[in-house]
Amino acid sequence: MNYPFGTGRARAAPYALLAPGILLYVLLALGPSLATAVYSFTDATGLPNSPIRWIGLENYREFLTLGAASKENLDALIRTFVFSLAVTVVQFTLGLLVAVLLNQKLRGTKFFRTLFFLPVILGVTIQGLMWTLFLYPLGGPLASFLGLFGLHSDMLGGQPAEAFAWVIVVQIWSNLGMTMVIFLAGLATIPSEVYEAARIDGANRWQVFREVTWPLLTPSVNTNLVLTIIGSLQAWQLFLVLTGYRAGTQVMGYLVYATAFGQTSGTTAGNTFRQGYGAAASIVLFVVVLAIGLTTQYLLRRREARLLE
Amino acid sequence: MRKLIVIFVVALMVAACGGGATASPSTSAGAQPSDGGGASTAPSLSGTVRVLIHQNPPFVDFMGTFNEKFKAKYPGVTVDMAVVNANDLGTSTQTRLTANDVDVIDIFSFSNAVQPYMKNVNPPGWQSLIEAGLLLDLTDQPFVKNYDPAAIADAGSFNGKVYEINLGRVGFSGIYYNKDLFTANNVKVPTTWSELVAACAAVTTAGVPCMTAGGKDGWPIFVGAYGLFGAAYPDQAALAEGLWTGSVKYTDPGFVELLKKAQIYGRDMMESGASGLAGDAAPGRFASGAVAMFPGGTWYGAAIETLKPTFQWGYIPFPGSDNAADNKYMFGKYDQGWAIAANTPNKDAALAYLAEFSDPANYQAFVTAVGVIPTQPGAKLETAIGAELAPYLANFRLGFELVWNAPKGAGQFASPMQNNMFKPFGTFEDPQAAAAQAQADLQSGLDALK
Repeated sequence: MNYPFGTGRARAAPYALLAPGILLYVLLALGPSLATAVYSFTDATGLPNSPIRWIGLENYREFLTLGAASKENLDALIRTFVFSLAVTVVQFTLGLLVAVLLNQKLRGTKFFRTLFFLPVILGVTIQGLMWTLFLYPLGGPLASFLGLFGLHSDMLGGQPAEAFAWVIVVQIWSNLGMTMVIFLAGLATIPSEVYEAARIDGANRWQVFREVTWPLLTPSVNTNLVLTIIGSLQAWQLFLVLTGYRAGTQVMGYLVYATAFGQTSGTTAGNTFRQGYGAAASIVLFVVVLAIGLTTQYLLRRREARLLE
Repeated sequence: MRKLIVIFVVALMVAACGGGATASPSTSAGAQPSDGGGASTAPSLSGTVRVLIHQNPPFVDFMGTFNEKFKAKYPGVTVDMAVVNANDLGTSTQTRLTANDVDVIDIFSFSNAVQPYMKNVNPPGWQSLIEAGLLLDLTDQPFVKNYDPAAIADAGSFNGKVYEINLGRVGFSGIYYNKDLFTANNVKVPTTWSELVAACAAVTTAGVPCMTAGGKDGWPIFVGAYGLFGAAYPDQAALAEGLWTGSVKYTDPGFVELLKKAQIYGRDMMESGASGLAGDAAPGRFASGAVAMFPGGTWYGAAIETLKPTFQWGYIPFPGSDNAADNKYMFGKYDQGWAIAANTPNKDAALAYLAEFSDPANYQAFVTAVGVIPTQPGAKLETAIGAELAPYLANFRLGFELVWNAPKGAGQFASPMQNNMFKPFGTFEDPQAAAAQAQADLQSGLDALK
């Protein structure tokens, strides 16, 4: 067997080099995840010195089956799927389109690449503040523009479906730059000779894209799809900033946060801390994300293997 | 020999440096009324007092001034104050207490305690904080005696011990109205529901939207609704118990009637776009004359006065009934108070902070700045909002949200007074359907108990 790290004590080198990273991962990711799983079987409030009792599957029973509240939890799960589907399809498509356009040798491409990537580095708070001001229904820029045509919308304060749609728009706007950059990196790896050969063979632009660009972009496609699907399934920060905990707009990620940190009542009174219950909700979300993520990975690998045949 | 001299000098230096911190008495707030209850002597206090408060512009401004005064009196103490949105105060309090990252906490009154008839409900956050030992027992602190014993008992005590000094009551079932606009349009100040509807129609015809509220924050919309519910159910503790025991149902004709009014209130009286307006922006719209009326709590009075001192406004109970006698109540709550983190590393300075705040002169300045109904017997609310509120104080009642807990498993509409169910704020258009949904959501939780 080829073992490039030598013999004797030198064989331990790779493990020693990996150890710090693994330790960090265990402390900051795996450890807390396992703790969350254990927490989900308790009535923990999250407050130090609070007694913690083992209650078995009671949190899961309450979350999934108890009364009208469980139906609302399932509604939140469905909303999460809708959110993820909408964001993935639109963000992926737009990101690819923008990347292909900005991969041309045209003037201003660097400026536009920066412009599209800028929202990614702003952070959720700034993104939320910008859009809250832009969508202010009583005289904000969009409201004023719509007013010129005699139209009016309550935007983020409107009906749940409208507010939900706006959060989708902001989510796409804030992450489009990342999708674009990954595609640009993929486009940069395609040799120009392949394009020349295709043109010499008489392929038009669409045929070049379909037969050359698209197959060779497979690694970037796979990366973008996985990141976008998993990221959008877990997204909740924009809901916190843009809509608050509002009936008809909650997604699973926000439900987990609000439940665990006492923000479900919508008032300043009556907030309760239920981190055990929130942990159970987060495990439900984890199972959903895991199932969808693994399925996505499997299908994408199968596609990649077919393309390589 | 040289080594011995060095060691001797170093020891002398250490003793001199450490003496200031250890030699002074570590006192609880002592017996000096001029200090507001007497804390440790000024030069001995040091360190940082980390304070967490909620966003309310007059309160934030007052705290800036108070902190400077406190630091002038205790020059060794630094005050590090953080401000969060009121909706985030509970979450921020929990996380910072858990991290032992805060000393003095602005905390809303102890409400929503689990009543004897309630089963399968979650205890309120403040109770969890106390049971986890995160709030300091203030029972024996001298500054507690500066406050009305009833306020201390009702709003800051648990199991016979004091954990919060409550700083005042607020009313929240009233409407601010623009006196000049009313006069200019010959509109009578409404004392009944029909008169309110007529007043709204009159100002709207004159081209001025009737009302606004901070719909984006959620709770400001149903604040006005307390007048609707309160006119029909003046004993809101009894209403809560009735809903639990089944003697009152949301589908009762009386309740459906007030849901119809709630629909008119949200759909016809509120200005277009109010659902997207932040809570802090609403008083400004009213003070600018953009709307004729503004249902809101008395805590906005100070902000309105500051925004436009020449603005002529009044404050009346929201008339939810066509019988004027039913509209005499002012619903409200014990509002904010102070608590101290049990594990604060700077207990003396934190106690001194509260003692100083509780000094009658400082407390009066707070009342005047923020506009709360005082909980210190000697203090007076002599501002414009105090004058407007005075006729209704004899009929002050605690609001529903302070006594209500929904059972586990109940749906989101089990507390219809905490949701605005009707368009444009909610999704319902039919009061009967809304009542049926509210009852079904509540019943779902009550059935889960069986």
